[in-house]
Amino acid sequence: MAPKFQIKVFQLSRFIKNFTIISVVTISFLLVFFSKTDYYLVYGIKNISSSVVVPVTRFISAPVNAFSNFVDEYNQFRSLKFENKILQEEITRLKKWQTLAIQNSRENKVLKKLLNATDNNLILIKTASLINRNDTIYSKLINLNAGYEDKIKKNMSAINERGLVGKVIDTTAKNSRVILLTDPNLSISVKSISDGIFSLLTGNGDGKYLVSSFVKENKMPRLGDIVVTSGTAQIFPVDLLVGKVAKVEKNRFFVLPFVDFENIDYLQIVTSK
Amino acid sequence: MEFSKLLNSSIKLNFILIISFSISVNSFILFPNINNAFYVLFHLTFIYLIFYHYHYYLYVVAMVYGILFDVLLLNYIGAHLITFLSLLIFFILLKKYLIRLSSYQIIFIYFITLIVLLLFEQFLANLINDYKFNVFLIFNFFLISLIIFIPTVFLFNKLDK
Repeated sequence: MAPKFQIKVFQLSRFIKNFTIISVVTISFLLVFFSKTDYYLVYGIKNISSSVVVPVTRFISAPVNAFSNFVDEYNQFRSLKFENKILQEEITRLKKWQTLAIQNSRENKVLKKLLNATDNNLILIKTASLINRNDTIYSKLINLNAGYEDKIKKNMSAINERGLVGKVIDTTAKNSRVILLTDPNLSISVKSISDGIFSLLTGNGDGKYLVSSFVKENKMPRLGDIVVTSGTAQIFPVDLLVGKVAKVEKNRFFVLPFVDFENIDYLQIVTSK
Repeated sequence: MEFSKLLNSSIKLNFILIISFSISVNSFILFPNINNAFYVLFHLTFIYLIFYHYHYYLYVVAMVYGILFDVLLLNYIGAHLITFLSLLIFFILLKKYLIRLSSYQIIFIYFITLIVLLLFEQFLANLINDYKFNVFLIFNFFLISLIIFIPTVFLFNKLDK
């Protein structure tokens, strides 16, 4: 009796083993396929990963995070005196700019009334804070604590006080995922303010600069030119600040973004009117 | 007794997998190399589990971590999932040859597998998700692998006693 029983157990475990392997491989194949077609099953997995897995991973990596914060605060404390001096100088400079900006704003309003022009103002959807970031390995992605319950939709623009940060690529009920400008897979159509040269910018892979992947009529902008969104691709609203031309080569140019991607705390999700 | 020992080291290795996964998917701006190091450590641990603690539950582990890595790092399922499952399937096919190798040869194969795995992930990310091949990242992974490989193998040997 005993050998027969053993054979049966062996056969059963072998069946379970084969069944597990075949089902795992089949499910994986289907998931890869469905991921490309945005099937609701993949959407469910993304939802679980952002609402369950991300908080768990944050909890587990909390000691490393605490250490990182401690080093950051120590560095800030060390450079406090120096930064204070710079900030005081900046305040004086900004006060002068503020007076000029108020004058320009008044003039702008009067001229718009005279021209009967319509504003292309942005609609603010939601101000959201950063939950975590996955921008070191592979894509440059960040997660925000607002989702479709807050009326955030795919392809909306994310900005902060310095300019364009990125684009919403995924939303769940309470979270959304933003791809940063510095990601090599994100292209933005831009124009230079002084010459109106249209071009496409993508991330450079180093996470610091944006590089032109296409320049209309091969006209290169000048060094130091300010670059804004052109609005031609209908994804980003027009005239959002992107960056400054930092380097010009024969067939391409590099832009240094205005946004400090290492210090993002809050983002505004906007769309054009 | 032997089974409980195996179970213990297996649990410890799975624990390392969870920690290294958690740290690698949460970016630390001041120390970006921490993410990269734990990402490489995850791969090292996973290959070690396959080589020395092979069990069919690893298919489920590969599927779960593959999906989560893909969703959190690439936003599309594909590269990691296929790589992890391919590694398991290749291991079954080549197991009979691996058993015949000496410990030094195994260590060499272990390192080569790690590098191939990291390159294959980039290749698949490029193929499936149009992710641009990042030379900086590959070079960084290679350097980190060189640095942490021997200490990690030593640690795993200690865990396995």
